[in-house]
Amino acid sequence: MNGWLAGLAVLIPLAGAAVTLLAHGLPRAQTVLSLLFAAALLLDASLLMAAVWRDGMVVVQASAWDAPFGISLAVDTLGAVMTLIAAITGLACLAYATAEIDEGHRRAFFHPLSHVLLAGVCGSFVTGDLFNLYVWFEVLLIASFGLLVIGGTRAQTDGAVKYVALNLVATSLFLLATGLIYGLTGTLNMADLSRAVPRVENTGVLNAAAMLLLAAFGMKAAVFPLFFWLPASYHTPLVAVSAVFAGLLTKVGVYALIRTVTLIFTHDPEWINGVLLWTAGLTMLTGVLGAAAQNEWRRILSFHIVSQIGYMVMGLAIGTKLAIVGSVFYLVHHIVVKANLFLIAGVAQRLTGSMELKRSGGLYEAAPWLAILFFIPAFSLAGFPPLSGFWAKFIVIKAALDERSIAIAAAALVTGLLTIYSMTKIWGEAFWKPHPAGPVEETGAPRAMVVPIAALAACTIVIGLFAQPFLAVAERTAAELTDPSAYAAAVLGRLP
Amino acid sequence: MPDGIVLACLVGLPFVAAIVAGLLPTRARDTASMLAGAVALVCLGLVWSAYGTVSGGGVLRAELPWMPQLGLSIVLRMDGFAWLFAGLITGIGALVVLYARYYMSAEDPVPRFFSFLLAFMGAMTGLVLSGHLVQLALFWELTSFLSFLLIGYWHHTAAARDGARMALTITATGGLSLFAGVLVLGHIVGSYDLDVVLAAGDTIRDHPLYIVALILIVLGALTKSAQFPFHFWLPHAMAAPTPVSAYLHSATLVKAGVFLLARLWPVMAGTDAWAWTVGLAGLITMLIGAYIAIFQNDLKGLLAYSTISHLGLITLLLGLKSELALIAAIFHTMNHAAFKCSLFMAAGIIDHETGTRDIRRLSGLNGPMPFTARLALVAAAAMAGVPLLNGFISKEMFFAEALSATAPVHPLLNVLPLAAMLASAFSVVYSLRFIHGVFFGSPPTDLPRTPHEPATWMRFPVEILVLTCIMVGVLPAATVGPYLDIAARAVLGDATPYYSLAVWHGVNLPLLMSVVAMAAGVTIYLILQRRLREGMDGPPLIRHLDAQRLFERAMVTLSWRLARTLERIAGTRRLQPQLRLILIAAIVAGAGAAFVRGVGPGNLVPAPIDPVLALLWVVGAACALGAAWQAKFHRLAATILLGGVGLVVCVTFVWFSAPDLALTQLTVEIVTTVLLLLGLRWLPKRMQSSSAREPEVLGRTRRLRDLAIATAAGGCMAMLAYVVMTRTPPELLAQHFLARAYLEGGGTNVVNVILVDFRGFDTLGEIFVVGVVALTTFALLRRFRPAADSVELPEQQRDQLEADEARHARDDGRHVADWLLVPFTLTRLLFPVMLVAAAFLLLRGHDLPGGGFSAGMVVAIAIILQYIVGGTEWTEDRLSLLRPPAWIGTGLLLAAGTGVAAWAFGLPFMTSYFSYADLPVLGKVPMASALIFDIGVFVLVVGATLLMLIALAHQSVRGRRSTPRTLPQAKASPRVADAVGGGG
Repeated sequence: MNGWLAGLAVLIPLAGAAVTLLAHGLPRAQTVLSLLFAAALLLDASLLMAAVWRDGMVVVQASAWDAPFGISLAVDTLGAVMTLIAAITGLACLAYATAEIDEGHRRAFFHPLSHVLLAGVCGSFVTGDLFNLYVWFEVLLIASFGLLVIGGTRAQTDGAVKYVALNLVATSLFLLATGLIYGLTGTLNMADLSRAVPRVENTGVLNAAAMLLLAAFGMKAAVFPLFFWLPASYHTPLVAVSAVFAGLLTKVGVYALIRTVTLIFTHDPEWINGVLLWTAGLTMLTGVLGAAAQNEWRRILSFHIVSQIGYMVMGLAIGTKLAIVGSVFYLVHHIVVKANLFLIAGVAQRLTGSMELKRSGGLYEAAPWLAILFFIPAFSLAGFPPLSGFWAKFIVIKAALDERSIAIAAAALVTGLLTIYSMTKIWGEAFWKPHPAGPVEETGAPRAMVVPIAALAACTIVIGLFAQPFLAVAERTAAELTDPSAYAAAVLGRLP
Repeated sequence: MPDGIVLACLVGLPFVAAIVAGLLPTRARDTASMLAGAVALVCLGLVWSAYGTVSGGGVLRAELPWMPQLGLSIVLRMDGFAWLFAGLITGIGALVVLYARYYMSAEDPVPRFFSFLLAFMGAMTGLVLSGHLVQLALFWELTSFLSFLLIGYWHHTAAARDGARMALTITATGGLSLFAGVLVLGHIVGSYDLDVVLAAGDTIRDHPLYIVALILIVLGALTKSAQFPFHFWLPHAMAAPTPVSAYLHSATLVKAGVFLLARLWPVMAGTDAWAWTVGLAGLITMLIGAYIAIFQNDLKGLLAYSTISHLGLITLLLGLKSELALIAAIFHTMNHAAFKCSLFMAAGIIDHETGTRDIRRLSGLNGPMPFTARLALVAAAAMAGVPLLNGFISKEMFFAEALSATAPVHPLLNVLPLAAMLASAFSVVYSLRFIHGVFFGSPPTDLPRTPHEPATWMRFPVEILVLTCIMVGVLPAATVGPYLDIAARAVLGDATPYYSLAVWHGVNLPLLMSVVAMAAGVTIYLILQRRLREGMDGPPLIRHLDAQRLFERAMVTLSWRLARTLERIAGTRRLQPQLRLILIAAIVAGAGAAFVRGVGPGNLVPAPIDPVLALLWVVGAACALGAAWQAKFHRLAATILLGGVGLVVCVTFVWFSAPDLALTQLTVEIVTTVLLLLGLRWLPKRMQSSSAREPEVLGRTRRLRDLAIATAAGGCMAMLAYVVMTRTPPELLAQHFLARAYLEGGGTNVVNVILVDFRGFDTLGEIFVVGVVALTTFALLRRFRPAADSVELPEQQRDQLEADEARHARDDGRHVADWLLVPFTLTRLLFPVMLVAAAFLLLRGHDLPGGGFSAGMVVAIAIILQYIVGGTEWTEDRLSLLRPPAWIGTGLLLAAGTGVAAWAFGLPFMTSYFSYADLPVLGKVPMASALIFDIGVFVLVVGATLLMLIALAHQSVRGRRSTPRTLPQAKASPRVADAVGGGG
């Protein structure tokens, strides 16, 4: 039964895509079906999380072929957590979208594409096979491209073309690296790889393949110096779409980095973790500096995605158990917070008429409820206690100081400062400053928009105030990640 | 009451009340202030109730586990020192609430103000009661954050917004630094518990990380207490409503830094490093603050700089290696809170009743507001250190310490008493300026409002505070003595030295210094008076040493210049440099890794080169190069050359006995080429050659560089592949597939079994990719409007039209139809044949080359042929079954459904079921459930290809419709477009 929960995490959104496509001519039915499938995915993800928590790792061999001959689906705590958070974000953004999209967007296959995207995300989180991961990356890429161009405006198409061109290069790197790794080890199953990789004598080629793979993932995750596609495209699409992207897409890259570095490429930590640590520091700083120069809601937020990714990579690079706890905690916290900030940006645009901070303002008086809702994720992002971001930063920095990595801890602190600076910029401009065109009307926003925002904000507060259970999950995740042989044994079912 | 409840109420009650106040209606000024006042008084009562315990040296303590994994718990702890601060916070809080009730205008959203104020009170109490370092940092950040909201309360003014933002940036950075420092301290001690930390003084001071922790923590304290060089945020925070300034910027928030330094004094002080950082910062701040304060024209600005100066004095005392100095620091903290808070309130009253705070415009207010004048006079005298007032006593203690201090270096020793006297003289000057400038001189004229005494209750808090100043000043030992003693003992424990609180210690050096400073202050004021009255442009000598400007410049450099430069270098918005960067990154990462760890030789001997295959590949490579070369200049040629590459790949597949791949490659090649050709028509014309825009040398260099990068990338990749392929691992999955495909997968076509069974899950994902590509193409082209230069009909079509017109044909396109009659007939005949071929490929796929994908491609080719030869309209009139999205949906559902179906048989998902079925006519046919999956693939491929085809083909239909020209309206069939979801 548990195995089915893993499979359904992919099959539900896939079926959702097919069904909403078939219901294309029936707008109302399509919307209802779309939300139903998203809800079903959330249910499945919750059950999967419960199953993993109760019974340990869920492993299922697709098509009933023994590992490593078929494709293994292997869901450890990390996979289950990520699937759950993806399902939550997906449902929230789809609900928001029902109030945002118009008939044109619907006709451009918004709902089927969204479900394919979710399938790609969940597929990446549940798979235990390197090539299968590649497939879900491709699914992700193409669905996100479709969603980027859905409005059909010039800016969107321009952003989307760059997005797809650059990401195709990354995906090709992924494929090439996978080919090399298969050639070196003779297997694609990640559990099998974790046993085979240390036996490879040709460390140079192996590291080269690993670097290409990490470059591909790094590009997805938008780390330095491969991040520029992100701020160039994330401010253009529908708000709900950019929220899903901001929340989930880069995090798939981070997830893949965490998975491969902790499970497969454990053979040469000096080289690989060293590269990652530099990357992390530069990513944090360049991202946050880029954000400081922006004056548009979503551009600022996009650059902050980059800088926050740096924190997650930093935890991974330090590599101690505590550091990985920090990374995982950061990952979960950031998905919720960042998706929410994008959704809030959408509501702000609706009320003030612009995402440009210069042409915005007056929200504090007109929509104090939005001010409160903005406060929570914004100051969580900036790492203010007792919100979720504080714990995330706390753990990562503590891990760095425990390892005496003073420089990276300093970089993390400076990034924190500039993040506060950016968030107060948005706050001062969009909320406190009077609107240049006179007072903003005190109109509300559609309930379908406010409810998801409030729900995600509630998640942030809960994670912050009652961090204990989340921390317990992160701890177990880190314990699993730092013990790759257990993963391998669970998937392969026999000892080496 | 148990300790836990007292402490929890002290911290929790203000927060609860803050939420309640926040929910009150906007105009509920009285309710909100009553609530806030009541809460402050209750808290004060709670603090008082703990007096019994702390006066006996006891500690109230409550602990609640929070996050044991991280060593975190909530520890509330009240010793005498915390008790004193808690009393200050709640007591002054109650007075400020009363004052604010009358100060705030009824038009402001006052409940919001009280909500923030209460929350701040809670955070501040939480800070002083923290028994856990991380928790302390947590409340620390919370106070910064709430002060941000309070400073920006009048958010419609830019000054308030900027002031709030600056204050938050500085203090929150300090908070982060403190946070890191606390982590280091916890790392050193092994615990974050304050009691444990306070007991580990020697461990801390001797640890190699001591300096790191010291710098980080001191940074936090200095920023919070507005010490040089971070002092500049405080004057800007004066944009806050005056009750906020009175509460936060005199009595509480800025004292947090001092509180922290005193709290950690027993374990961190006593080293030269401490004296240099803390003491020096305090010394400079004390002098600079006092000096600048003299030249302020704004009442609150004067008070702000005076606050900075007095905080500097306290910091300096804390920096000295003397227990008595610590006691003096605590004492002065209390005294300063009393007189500065009352002065702020007085300044607020003046502002409230006259409408201005500019000292140059105010004068002679003694007439209209005599009571306020007397109160302010006493408070200012206390600030100046006039005898019989509280400021005098702590100042005397300071002088005594300055004289006896053991500073780390010799010269500083002599400077200290001089500096103390100088600062004291300055404080006399600005106090005089405040009082003389505002209350004396000619009667006020030309003020925004006619001045008069404020409401009695608004003056009441000032009266209380001034009374305190006098009482402490006259009878220090009887009034404040016991409380100071409790606090000092809580910090110093048994090391508390003897000290005496008395007004008169006899004629001694400190008294002499006081007299000299007083005289000097009066003299300086008399000299400067006239010039100050006229107004001076900032303080002389250090006018240009403006830390604020430095800060702003730094922020601009960081956030604008550096960011822009970075964006220019790394964040280009153009695609080409981005691609270049990725490739370089990949080359560096890959080649670097291989180079560092070295590449071993292969163990396999390369197979001999077959000349025919080599030739084939030379042709293929030439085609690929040609395609890349021509892509910009001649798109048609590039497309055709690309077809050549595909063909070579296809032949290679055959060469290595992979007919299945070859078949798929071939069909895909055909379809993509056709679709590309259809799309070419709508691309804009080629850009003018670049030589017009830049010198040819540059263009050529750029191309050469790109060629080098491309060659490097390709070369490295080929090398890696070669190394890998000449060194195969013992076991490849492929061998297992070969062995098990028939026995366990039920198919002899291994490729197909891999696709639909072994790795069916991959295929499932991939067909969704195909489907999405089609949907996206359609969605994109739905709104596509061709560029102006490609709207025109191509030459060939124009020729045909001319021919049609020349022959006076009844309908357009006749000419083409005539010409194509033979192929037209042939393709129509071929159509059913191709369908049968597709069915054949589909059914036999499991055992022999074929399968759903290639079958779908064949059907697609069949339909494309009809389109090419019969034309869009003709074909669509006849193929009304074409509803590609439905086909795509059905195909996807079939494939996904097959995956789920295994559930019914209790097997893992995607598992296929296999048996032989006896069909009529065909006989025994192998039936695997994988076939249904394959049918899904087939349906999807047909639908997807057609959708793309339609999307492209309809461009010309629409293109013709949108250009009237000489053509009549084409009779386009709207059916397909409608079926698809409204293109056209």
